[in-house]
Amino acid sequence: MITESRLKKVLQKGHFAVTAECGPPKGADPEVVKSKGKILREHADSINVTDNQTGVVRLSSLAACALLKAEGLDPVLQMVVRDRNRIALQSDVLGASALGIRNILCLSGDHQCFGNQPQAKGVFDIDSVQLIQTVRRMRDAGEVIGGEKLSSSPDMFIGAVANPFADPFRYRAARLATKVEAGAEFIQTQCIFNLKRFREWMSLVKELGMADKVYILGGITPLKSVRMAEYMAKNVAGMDIPRELIDRMKAVPAKEQKQEGIKIAVETTQALKEMAGVHGVHIMAIEWEDAVPQIVEEAKLFPRPQV
Amino acid sequence: MITGERKPISEIKEMIAPYRKVLVVGCGSCVAECAAGGEKEVGLLSSALRMDAKAAGQEREVREMTLDRQCVYEFIDQLTDVVGQYDIVLSLACGAGVQAVAEVFPNINIVPALNTTFLGETKEAGLWLENCRGCGDCKLGFFAAVCPITRCAKGLFNGPCGGSRTDCCEVDSEVPCAWQLIVSRLEATGRLDLLRKVHPPADWSKQQGRGPRKIIREDQRT
Amino acid sequence: MDKKGSDVTVSVFFCRQLDPNQDVTRRALEKELGKRIRFFPLPCSGRIDALHLLRALEAGADKVYVVTCPEGACHYREGNIRAKKRIAYAQSLIEEIGIERGRLELVVTSAGKRLTIDELTRELLGRDDKGAKA
Repeated sequence: MITESRLKKVLQKGHFAVTAECGPPKGADPEVVKSKGKILREHADSINVTDNQTGVVRLSSLAACALLKAEGLDPVLQMVVRDRNRIALQSDVLGASALGIRNILCLSGDHQCFGNQPQAKGVFDIDSVQLIQTVRRMRDAGEVIGGEKLSSSPDMFIGAVANPFADPFRYRAARLATKVEAGAEFIQTQCIFNLKRFREWMSLVKELGMADKVYILGGITPLKSVRMAEYMAKNVAGMDIPRELIDRMKAVPAKEQKQEGIKIAVETTQALKEMAGVHGVHIMAIEWEDAVPQIVEEAKLFPRPQV
Repeated sequence: MITGERKPISEIKEMIAPYRKVLVVGCGSCVAECAAGGEKEVGLLSSALRMDAKAAGQEREVREMTLDRQCVYEFIDQLTDVVGQYDIVLSLACGAGVQAVAEVFPNINIVPALNTTFLGETKEAGLWLENCRGCGDCKLGFFAAVCPITRCAKGLFNGPCGGSRTDCCEVDSEVPCAWQLIVSRLEATGRLDLLRKVHPPADWSKQQGRGPRKIIREDQRT
Repeated sequence: MDKKGSDVTVSVFFCRQLDPNQDVTRRALEKELGKRIRFFPLPCSGRIDALHLLRALEAGADKVYVVTCPEGACHYREGNIRAKKRIAYAQSLIEEIGIERGRLELVVTSAGKRLTIDELTRELLGRDDKGAKA
């Protein structure tokens, strides 16, 4: 069993990395997870597993990562701070490491009011930045919050998210700096539709000297339809979909919109490949994992390198 | 102040249903300020309950009283000669007041007419906003007097999250993003440096306590 | 209501600005109807409180009117707007105990006619006599 992070190796060797997202099922069937892993296997270096995304109860990220690990894949454990206190979070970091999981993505999580358990207590004992700091300290200093020593340290490649498109815009690059200072080693951004704005953010990031301190992977989500584009633009917080893209999707007949969405995703990926300071792409094809191989191939990122 | 809201009358009626003589006691402090449990509200509720009883052909006596502050025994003592004449006390105080009265008169029936809600400010007449969660470890000085625990839906100390859009919280578009406010205010006063360091995890034991918290001041005790 | 018009007990809260002579003009009706009518002149309809309305109902009024100046013409600017909101509040409260909200009625006078409180009230009661609702 591989006990090293493939994602880390790919990035350290200077390759343009490809990660993809896998959403676990709203059920207990492990085969769903395994079959998604199969689809993504050859086309992604590592696979992110979401953690009860949008506050909807799903098969746990930790368990799904373990299932993918058993299939020989390199999972990225997404860990939100909404559902667990520091005891549980630190415990799960140890557990994940014990299971051979080598990548962790620390995030706040969507507020519980959005999911199917709106009456749940949102925990938020520590926030995502404090979680990054905690994992880093567990790994490098071998201790938990409070200073007590661990008998053995977890081995994790630590990631965080960035949203170049949320407000306040001018503060977003500074926020990235805070996460890097806390210990983040790689960043996956919110999905990019507005390349112009993303470039602006990248230059702010460079100005802060962050570009060579952290690996940035640009997020991509292929649009399935113009309705999806309009829905996301209107309802999803922190999303920026320019009018021209929506019009472009509109101009295409309904049954060709999926392909147009993939085309846009490929174009964006190619733009990211050319951008200095961007080290990879993170493809979030929500309930459309099938699209990932096509996007990767058409963006000329297939086959994935041997590391 | 502590805010509260009157329970639906149907719920209140159910609580007092078995009783014929009801003493309605309001409080002149916080709940009067938020128009939920002051003298006026005592009057409104009592009138309603009397009319309701009359319409249903029930015998019910409803007496009205309001204490300056229902959580202080000095004022609660004013009930001493009265409370025994009634079958039940319907208190319009916040939970603190209801319980304080029960501590002074442990053998009476007392029920709450309000749902106590939050600590907050009167933003304008008729609008009260939560702004403090009594964490016991006030850090307002670091956050431009915008409490991140209370006013950020996720209680982030190193915010904002990725969901804020046009200055609003992803959870409620009418609520400003607290972190947007914090950043703007610190920027305006040249204190963005306060956000450079990672703010460490909070000590929630100060808020949770080991059960109910207490404060003791020997210099104030007899 | 199944009460006949002549048996109805009425309370009328009204803004004094509507009829500067109300002190005189209302006496006739008070004499005619005796205990079945009570007038409450206010310096502005905005002074009405939900509590007054509940007390009036509790005191036996079958119907409570709150008469305000025309919209936009309040001497104190938003008094009549406040009155409207407070009546709405009192209405939702009485609904919780099964009393019809129609027992409390907001009457906004129109900008054109200048009626005395006597003429106004007779009109209102006339409506009641016919059993018609506003």
